[in-house]
Amino acid sequence: MSVALQEPGLVEAPRPARRRAVWQVVRRRPSAAIGLTVLVTIILVALLAPLIAPYGLHDEVGPVFGHPSWSHPLGLDDGGIDMVTLLMWGARISLVVGFAATLVSMLVGGAVGVLAGYFGRWVDVVLMRITDYFIAIPDVPLMIVVAAIWGPSLFHIVMVIGLLLWTSTARVIRAQVKSVRERVYVQRARSIGAGHLRIIFRHVLPQIAPLLIANTVLTIAVAIFDETALSFLGLGDPSRISLGKVIQNAFQRTAVSSGAWWAIVPPGALVAILILSCSLIGQALEDALNPRLRVAHLGARRFRLRPLVGRGSEAV
Amino acid sequence: MRGADYVIKRTGFAVVTVLVAVTLNFLLFRLAPGSAVSNLSRVPHATQETRLALKRQFGLDKSKPEQYVIYLRELVHGNLGISFQNSQPVWKNLKSDLANTIPMVLLGTVFSIVLGTLTGVIAAWRRGTAVEHATVTTALAFYSMPTHWLALMLVILFAGWFPSGGMVNDFLIDPTWFQHIKDVLYHMTLPALTLALVLYGQYTLIVRSAMLETLGEDYILTARAKGLRPWTIVRRHALRNALLPISTLIALSLGYIVAGAILIETVFSWPGIGRGVYEAVIARDYPMLQGAFLVLTLSVVFFNLVADLIYFKLDPRITS
Amino acid sequence: MSLLEARGLEVWFDLEGGGVLHAVQGVSFALEPGERLGLVGESGCGKTTTALALLGLLPPNAEVAGEVLFRGEDVLRGGEESVRPHRWTDVAMVFQGAMNSFNPVRNVGAQIVEALEFHGVAQGAAARARTGRLLESVGIPADRARRFPHEFSGGMRQRAAIAMALACEPSVLVADEPTTALDVMVQAQILELLDALCRDFGLALVLVTHDLPVVAQLCDRAAVMYAGEIVEEGPVERLYHSPRHPYTRLLFAATPDLSDDGAPVASIPGAPPRLDRPLVGCPFRPRCDRAFGRCAEERPLLRRVDGSRAACHLNDVPG
Repeated sequence: MSVALQEPGLVEAPRPARRRAVWQVVRRRPSAAIGLTVLVTIILVALLAPLIAPYGLHDEVGPVFGHPSWSHPLGLDDGGIDMVTLLMWGARISLVVGFAATLVSMLVGGAVGVLAGYFGRWVDVVLMRITDYFIAIPDVPLMIVVAAIWGPSLFHIVMVIGLLLWTSTARVIRAQVKSVRERVYVQRARSIGAGHLRIIFRHVLPQIAPLLIANTVLTIAVAIFDETALSFLGLGDPSRISLGKVIQNAFQRTAVSSGAWWAIVPPGALVAILILSCSLIGQALEDALNPRLRVAHLGARRFRLRPLVGRGSEAV
Repeated sequence: MRGADYVIKRTGFAVVTVLVAVTLNFLLFRLAPGSAVSNLSRVPHATQETRLALKRQFGLDKSKPEQYVIYLRELVHGNLGISFQNSQPVWKNLKSDLANTIPMVLLGTVFSIVLGTLTGVIAAWRRGTAVEHATVTTALAFYSMPTHWLALMLVILFAGWFPSGGMVNDFLIDPTWFQHIKDVLYHMTLPALTLALVLYGQYTLIVRSAMLETLGEDYILTARAKGLRPWTIVRRHALRNALLPISTLIALSLGYIVAGAILIETVFSWPGIGRGVYEAVIARDYPMLQGAFLVLTLSVVFFNLVADLIYFKLDPRITS
Repeated sequence: MSLLEARGLEVWFDLEGGGVLHAVQGVSFALEPGERLGLVGESGCGKTTTALALLGLLPPNAEVAGEVLFRGEDVLRGGEESVRPHRWTDVAMVFQGAMNSFNPVRNVGAQIVEALEFHGVAQGAAARARTGRLLESVGIPADRARRFPHEFSGGMRQRAAIAMALACEPSVLVADEPTTALDVMVQAQILELLDALCRDFGLALVLVTHDLPVVAQLCDRAAVMYAGEIVEEGPVERLYHSPRHPYTRLLFAATPDLSDDGAPVASIPGAPPRLDRPLVGCPFRPRCDRAFGRCAEERPLLRRVDGSRAACHLNDVPG
C-alpha cells in the first residue's frame, strides 16, 4: 500500500569508470600514494641495476665486513663486496620471484575462482573443496618440503611459491564473479547467445579487475616474504643473489657476532619496505573497493555543533 | 544438542584434511624421482640389520599402493622411520622438539594477542584520529618485517642483555628446578618477543577491522539510543560480538605462527620443531622432514578445528 | 512551551571524497503531549536524519545547527553528553523493521532488562518480571524473553523493539519507518499496536515514513519534507483535501486508491535535487507543474496559510 514514488536514493558521488577507480583511490589516500611511489622507485632502481650499480656484483673491493665509509655507504659483506651493489642486484631477483610467483598464483587462482564462480554447482563445490584443503595445510612447511625435494633453482622457487598462494585469489575472485554473474547485463548477454568465454572476458573480468589488482599487490608482498624465508633456510637458488640470500649469507657468515650490522639491517629493511609498500597499496584498494567499514556509530569522535548565531526560528 | 550437524561437519572436514595432508606427504616423499628422497632405509651410520628392518617395516620393495597402506598403518602406530641425523626414531625426536617449541610459541602468541587486541580496540575507537593512523602504521610496519630479520635485529639490539642462542646455558652445572626454569625463560625472551612482534601487527589489523564492523551495526545504534554510556556499549555489546570474527581470524594466523616458529628457532638455535625442520633440510634428513611437516600440519588443522568450535560456542545463531 | 520542539535544525555530513552533504536544511516543528506527527517524504529527503537528530544519534562526520528543545530545555547544546540523559526516559526510538535492533548474541529479555536496570526503573527479578509484562503488552508471550533475536519473526522482533522502547515510560516515541520490510498483514498489526499503545500511555509520536496511508491512519498532523526541509505541514485532513504545496498535492494524488479500479497510478517524474551543492530557488521547481519565474530565483519560506504552513510562492499569488 505504498505510494509510487521515485526512488533516487541518497545523493552519491558519481561512479567513476572502473579503469579510473584504481587510480582515484591511490590519489585520494596518501598511504597508497606513498606505497606506490616507493614501490615504483625500487623497481626502477632494480631494473637499472646493471647500469647504475656503483661496483661490480662480484668485485671484491675491500676486506671482509668492511665498515661503511664514504665510498661504501653501506659497507661490505663477507666477501668484500659492496652492499649497495648487492642490494640493487638482490632487489632484482627478489622482485622477479615476487612478480613471477604472483603471476603463477594469479593464473591458477584466477582460473579456479572464475570457473567456480561462473559455472557454479558441482564445479564450484569440487573446486572449493580442493581450495579449502590447500588453505587448511600450512603453506610455509609445504613450500619447504617441496623445495627441499625438488631442488633449488629459480624456476622451482617461483613455481613452489606460486602454486601455494593461489587460494586467497581464488576465493576473492569466486565471490566477485558470483555477484557479477547475477547482474542484468550478463543475463542479457547470455540470452542473446553469447558464449561463456566471451562473457567472461568481456563482461566479468573488467568488473572484477580492481579487486583483482588489490589481491595481486598483496600476493606480491607475501611472495617476496616467502622467497626470503626459503632463501634463509638454504632453499634458494645458489647461483642467484636475492635479498633473502644476502640476509642468509650474513647470518651464516656470523655477521652478528662480528658486529657487522650493515650486512644484515639494510637488506631486511629493504624487504620490509617493499612489503610495506605493497601492503599499503593493497589495503587501501581493498578498503575502498569493499566498503564494509562504514562510519561507526560509536567512537571517540562525536558529532559537532555549530554555535548559535542568534537567528530566530525559520517558521513564521 | 544444538548444531550437532555443525560440529560433526567441521570435525569431519578436519579428519579429511588430515588424510589429505598425510597422503600428500606420502606422494611428495615416496614418489619423488630417485631413491635419495624416498628410501627411508638409507640411514647413514646404521647397521645393515637396522636397514633391513626398515625395509621390511615399510615394505620398500613392494608396489606404491601397497606402500601407501603400510605407511598409513605404521603412522597409526607412531612409526615414522628413523632420523638420518641421529639414528633415533623420528617420533622420539619430534616429541622432544615439540616440547621445546610449545612454551616459547605460547608465550609469544599470548603476548601478541593481548597487545594486538589492545591496540586494535584503541585504533577502532579513535577512528579518524592521528592515534589510529600511528597505531595502524606501526602495526603494518611490524607486519612487513621478515621474521628472521626482525629476530636478527633483536639479537643485535639486545646483545649482552639477553642470550642470543640456545635454550639453556650449558655452563650451568646441576641447576635446581627453579634455576633451570629461570634459565630457560631468560633464553626464551628474545625468541618469544620476536614472535610476539611479528604477530601483533596482524592482530591489531584484524581486531581493528572486526571492531569497526561491529561498531557500525544497527544494534549499536540502538544501544546508544537507549542512553547507555559508550564504554558500557563497547564492553557489553561490541567486544562480545567482535570476538566472533576475531577468533576465526586468529585461527587463520596459525600458518604464520608455524612459519614464524621455523624462522625464529633457526635464528636463535632454539631446539624446537622449527629448527628441526631447518636442520632436516640441511642434512637432507627426509624422514625427519616428513615427520615434522606432518606434525605441523596436524597442529594447524587441530587448532583450526578448535577455533571453529569456539566460534560455534560463542554464536547462538549457528544451529543445524 | 511544547513537549518536544525542533528549531532551525540543520545537519551537514562530511563526505568521503571531500564535499559536504546538507541533509537537513532548517527544520522546525513542535509537538504537544499525546500529539502525533508524521514526517513524510521520499528517501533522501532528510526525515530519518531529522528523527535521529532529535535524540542526538548522529555519526562523527555530522555537524548540527539549531536547537532541539525538550520541555523548553535545549538538549542538543552540550553535544552527546547533554542529550544522553534524555534518551529512552524522555524520548525513545523504534527503528526500521529491517534493522537489527537487537544484539544477536544476547537474548531479547536481557536487552530489555538492560534498559530497565540502567535507567534505574527496576533491578534484577523485578526487572525481569516487568520485561515479561512489557512483552505481553505487545502480544509476545513472556517466556519468549529468553529466546534470541534470530528466533523471532520480523514482526515479533519489531513488537519486541516497541516493548523495549516503552520500558522507561518515555513521553515521546520516535518511530522511523517501523513497518518497512515487514509484510502487509504484519504491517497492519504493528500500526494497530502503535495506535493502541500511544493512546493508552498518552505518548506523543513522531512517525517517519514514506507511506502516506500509514500517516493518514495514525497521525493527526503531518510534515511533508523535501530536499531537507519541511515544505508543508498541517492536519492530515487538510493536507489531503486542500494541499498548499504542489509536492503535497502530487504525493497524495499518486497514492493508489484500492477502491478506484483501473485508475492509472500517477507518479512524480524526475528526481530530488542533489544536496551536496547549494540550491538556488525552490528545490521542487524542476518537478513542479506550476512553477513560474520567481520559483527559479527565490527559495520560498515556510509560511502560515489557512491553518497549515507551506513553503510555496503560489500561496503569495492572490487568487
